[in-house]
Amino acid sequence: MEILDKLLNVALLVATLRTTAPILLVALGGSFTTKAGIFNIGLEGQMLVGAFFAVLGSIWSGSALIGVACGVVAALVFALAFAVLVVSFRANEVVVGLALNILAGGMTISLMKAIFGTRGSIVGQKIVGLPKVQIPGARDLLGSWAPLVSGYTPMVYVAFVAVPFLVLFYKRTRLGLYIRVVGEKPEAAEALGISITRVRYTASLLCGLLAGLAGAHLSLGYITMFTENMSSGRGFMAVAILIFSAGDPLKVLAGCLLFGFADAFSLRLQTFGFPSYLILAVPYLVALVALFALSYRSRPRIIRETLESMKKMLSVETKPAETGNNLPR
Amino acid sequence: MSDGLRAFYGQIIALAIALALGALIIVLIDESPINVFMTLVRGAFGDQSKIAGTLLQTTPILICGIAACIGLRGGMFNVGIEGQLFLGGFAAAWVGFALPLPAGLHMVVGMAAAVLAGAAWVAIPAYFRARYNTNEVVSTILSNYVAVLLTSYFTIFLFKRPGGWSETPPILPTAYLPELFSFSRLNWGLIIGLALAFFVAWFFRQTAKGYSISMVGSAPKFAEYGGIDVKRQGFLVLLASGAVGGLAGGVETLGIHHRFMEGFAPGFGFDGLIAALLANGSPIITIFTALFFGALRNGSLLLETDTSASREIITVIQALIILSVSAQVLMKRRGDSTAGERRWKF
Repeated sequence: MEILDKLLNVALLVATLRTTAPILLVALGGSFTTKAGIFNIGLEGQMLVGAFFAVLGSIWSGSALIGVACGVVAALVFALAFAVLVVSFRANEVVVGLALNILAGGMTISLMKAIFGTRGSIVGQKIVGLPKVQIPGARDLLGSWAPLVSGYTPMVYVAFVAVPFLVLFYKRTRLGLYIRVVGEKPEAAEALGISITRVRYTASLLCGLLAGLAGAHLSLGYITMFTENMSSGRGFMAVAILIFSAGDPLKVLAGCLLFGFADAFSLRLQTFGFPSYLILAVPYLVALVALFALSYRSRPRIIRETLESMKKMLSVETKPAETGNNLPR
Repeated sequence: MSDGLRAFYGQIIALAIALALGALIIVLIDESPINVFMTLVRGAFGDQSKIAGTLLQTTPILICGIAACIGLRGGMFNVGIEGQLFLGGFAAAWVGFALPLPAGLHMVVGMAAAVLAGAAWVAIPAYFRARYNTNEVVSTILSNYVAVLLTSYFTIFLFKRPGGWSETPPILPTAYLPELFSFSRLNWGLIIGLALAFFVAWFFRQTAKGYSISMVGSAPKFAEYGGIDVKRQGFLVLLASGAVGGLAGGVETLGIHHRFMEGFAPGFGFDGLIAALLANGSPIITIFTALFFGALRNGSLLLETDTSASREIITVIQALIILSVSAQVLMKRRGDSTAGERRWKF
């Protein structure tokens, strides 16, 4: 029992939420492209340049916020390049995504050597990290459970708050609906006069925005440093989650929590003397097992749902126009 | 102008754009592009040993490239060549130091172990790709990370050589892949790679099996109506691709390092994939693209010492080449149908 107590406690839950945040952010970003019918394997690279430029911006400006902005801009540039090649030039999305990931890896290391003259990592006092948000009154209300809701860096809150927003976005807003239609029935979208190109560009850029935030969280959140390839496959795990969740925000959240837990739990196991190499492999194995186990999902049902909600929205929209046309006669 | 010629010119223009962008980045990091380029050429072809070094770097890229070609032809993206290479390399090394066998046979058994390990490592992703259409890009990428960590675990926790290094004991000389010349570590691996490239090219061009694989790769629906067991074939294609990826690892450990070291082959799998993509899945053209990347890699070693640029600048150039080539080659082939058809099958 004592061992169990050591393994499962509030601290573990807190650690789970913390490790979930970056992968949740990048996976939610990927949900835009997934819903828009783009297979975006370039998340990893977007996250990596986000992390690098966030550190760069933080050092240059002395402000964590400007650092985050720099990271986001860099990720957006990569997202734009992805969109130009995949949407406008119709290049193969896997090839472009992989090449952008390789570009991100090579570019960050080259720039690191050119600017800082070092290999490996950037560390130092000059990097200003994100502050921790203390929610007032949390300690009084929750006592020892307070760390569960208070004291995270801002991106953790952003990540979890984004989930309900995305649910509403896809259900209630026109852009959300357009993204879904473009992804599931592009022919229908075309027939309705929706610009597939514009919707896919928008989805790619929204994805870049969140991937950049995820990267900034990696390098300015709980540790303030940048190391070579520090995204270490989180972007790919996010893609695995996106495949079995079909980009649905709630399922994305569930998948990410699973990873966050696996990550946090395996770090705990390390203190019990399990070989670190095997423990580091746990999150990747969880991703693989989940991917394989959930790989017979039914797609037709989702398409039908979207078409129905589309019909509803269109009928609401077209009615006034029809009566308007009929009146003069 | 014929289509082939036009495609060739397109390729050249794409290459020029990529090199121009690369030059721009080199200027941005405060180096002279001409200086970097000359250093790369000197580092790759400066003298006899440099040329041998280039060929030494070319060998694993070529074999990994052939592995990728097999997958691409059959419509499969094997992005896990890196992992298969690690597993193959370890398996060959294990046979090399743990199984004393007569000379000659020992080497062959080691190679066979590498091939089997590579195929075994891709078997689970391949099965799920064939049976449930599970995206093989993601599953093979993720298994790369596991492969690297697993081989590190084997090396450090189970078979570590006494002493400070993170490596296995050296393999017995009976398992060495013979060297070609006295002045370099260049070995039979290059010959194996070249022979394999020609064999795979012949296989796809001349045999019925090769034709049916290409057909599944280019038009899976048509192939299915034509009576080909698409699932079974997809499984076998990935398996073959993984086997060749494992072979690349075996060539590295038995030919060059003569032991398995942690992180012994950084990025060869990805370089091979890029070389195959640049060659559009042709094993013969992959020989040249692999040589090009091998030269870049070997040249970059001198870059690190002679200039202030980092050797990773060549991965930037490689990525730029692939991006500009992908934009124009694949545009032509796809035609102007609605974007809907391009949806990736999850």
